[in-house]
Amino acid sequence: MSVLRFFALFFSAFSLSVLISCSNQTSTPTASAPASPVAQSEMSPHSMHSGKPKININNAILSELDKIEAMLGVPALSNRIQASRPYAKVDELVSKNVITQAQFDQVKDMVTIEDIQLTGEAKDVDFMTKLGLMKGHMLVAKELLDLQKPDQAEPHIGHPVEEIYADVEDQLNDRNIKEFKTGLIALQDTVKAGAKDANKVDTEFKTSMQAVDGAIAALPETQRTSPDFVLQTINGLLDTANSEYTAAIADGKISQAIEYQDSRGFVIYANELYKAIAPQMAKDRARANTTIQTTMAELMKAWPSVLPPATPVKTPVEVSKLIKTIEQSAQKTASS
Amino acid sequence: MSNQKRLEKSILNRRQLLQWGLIAGAGVAASSIAATRLLGKRSSVIIPPVPSASTDRSGMNPMSILRDFDYGTVTQENGRTVREFRVEAQTSTIKLDNAHSFITWNLNGRVPGPTFRATEGDRIRVVFYNRAGHSHSLHFHGEHPADMDGIKPVKNGSVMIYEFDAKPFGVHLYHCHVAPVTRHIGKGLYGMFIIDPPQPRPPADEMVLIMAGYDVNDDQKNELYAFNGLPHYYMKNPIPIQQDQLVRLYVLNMIEFDPVATFHLHANMFRVNQTGRSLTPSYETDVITMGTAERHILEFSYHNTGKFMFHPHQDNIAEAGCMGFFDVIGSKA
Repeated sequence: MSVLRFFALFFSAFSLSVLISCSNQTSTPTASAPASPVAQSEMSPHSMHSGKPKININNAILSELDKIEAMLGVPALSNRIQASRPYAKVDELVSKNVITQAQFDQVKDMVTIEDIQLTGEAKDVDFMTKLGLMKGHMLVAKELLDLQKPDQAEPHIGHPVEEIYADVEDQLNDRNIKEFKTGLIALQDTVKAGAKDANKVDTEFKTSMQAVDGAIAALPETQRTSPDFVLQTINGLLDTANSEYTAAIADGKISQAIEYQDSRGFVIYANELYKAIAPQMAKDRARANTTIQTTMAELMKAWPSVLPPATPVKTPVEVSKLIKTIEQSAQKTASS
Repeated sequence: MSNQKRLEKSILNRRQLLQWGLIAGAGVAASSIAATRLLGKRSSVIIPPVPSASTDRSGMNPMSILRDFDYGTVTQENGRTVREFRVEAQTSTIKLDNAHSFITWNLNGRVPGPTFRATEGDRIRVVFYNRAGHSHSLHFHGEHPADMDGIKPVKNGSVMIYEFDAKPFGVHLYHCHVAPVTRHIGKGLYGMFIIDPPQPRPPADEMVLIMAGYDVNDDQKNELYAFNGLPHYYMKNPIPIQQDQLVRLYVLNMIEFDPVATFHLHANMFRVNQTGRSLTPSYETDVITMGTAERHILEFSYHNTGKFMFHPHQDNIAEAGCMGFFDVIGSKA
């Protein structure tokens, strides 16, 4: 028992000294929390503040965060805000040493951690990215259906409904787009039941794919063909592909075909999107275009077929690196 | 804020505690005992020393998960106690046994996720950061408003802050609610959520045991089972408990695909407090049947020393990894 008491005493002394020496460090928001709870508007995540729409520092895409970066004139601040997520309170921007208190005071009216209604370009990029993920799932589902592998295709028809639809439903309503969840579920049922009637599968698949395409087409064409806009969508798709590819591989083998296929679909669609803006990119930003084209071609090699290869062509680290290269070139492009 | 107050708050922050404990070289076991000591409310509880080399080569340590309660970072806001928990959904591979490397979807790198613990009436704030590729969510059992029900998928790379009052007291759980839920839970996105009653339960050696299954070949059946994440772990690493010490088990059945599993304790009876919803246990037995997501508090003490098994009495489930030993250590006369 005396040993325990020694530990307890030693421990308390030690933690006290740690607290004192680190009192202005990141991991103790307790110590730095202001006495008056700022903007903790009765803890409701949905309460809207008056004035301009705020930027949610937890979820905003880089181009949104660029507004904070521009306001403060700190290079690469957007990336740092992203890298220091998550934030439980806005003033963690200071306690996590992302910006100084003085800088925070300048931007505190712009930022929030509450769920906000996205507006403008950010809303459109978000919408496009989610539909892009759906597209990716559907593309690999089609490949697997064509290979007569309905059991493997089924999760990829399920994912758009299970993981994405609920997240995009409000936006579909806002944009007066006819719901297409019913169609997706019907297709999933058919495929789950073995996809015995090829014509039925084909018709239902086309209906669902057209619905996704139709939803994408609800965005103004100027936007859908704008390199800046499309590059942001591509980043979102590749980021998700990156995580999924990592989640497919264990012990140097592709042990989860689903995640391998998910990531394949996202990259194929990202590549498709890029091809459409490539001519414009070649004209305006030749250098970034070359980098992205080469890197994308290299990246695609990781997915030689819809059925996973016996050994991965690329390691998750290699895939991450290529994706990083594309994201960086795209970003330089977007802000240049 | 006085240093004393800061210290009290810091004690409640389990993660910092662990970090500092490790830095100080005191080790996980010692720090957990130190915490218990410093909290002062379980002074009569004796926890035998935990063997130090219990981190498995899998990278997981069910021995530390066993008595690891995350009380969150505590602050006072508008006169209320707020407990803030931070979790990150990740993917990582664990070695379940010699033949199976399994890609988990997990919180903070562990399966099961952290055991959140609060007192009834506290404000709970869970900052959930999804970095696991797929969309995920956290759905809590217990009471909360509809928009905090955690059925809305949180997409990769984004953050959701779940916030609600901790009620009612009892043993609860949380898990990802994105379909197919069997896969999201089966891969590891679940954990226990304990809400203590306003007046604390009597001092005891408290532990968490979560039963779960692993479908390693995606055939919608479990091939392996485990307590606290790793098959057979507590067979190889018996849990030391003290003779005649009151033990309080928080047990959860998180096994997907198999509708029920029992919990059986050897050579003893335990008292059952159903869903922890009562202040006192209601009856005694040595086998209790639990459907998926059912959970209870079980209390017992051993007078006999030695090793005693615990396992579901679906013996195929037990033998596929869901079994373990208590090692009852004699008190010196």
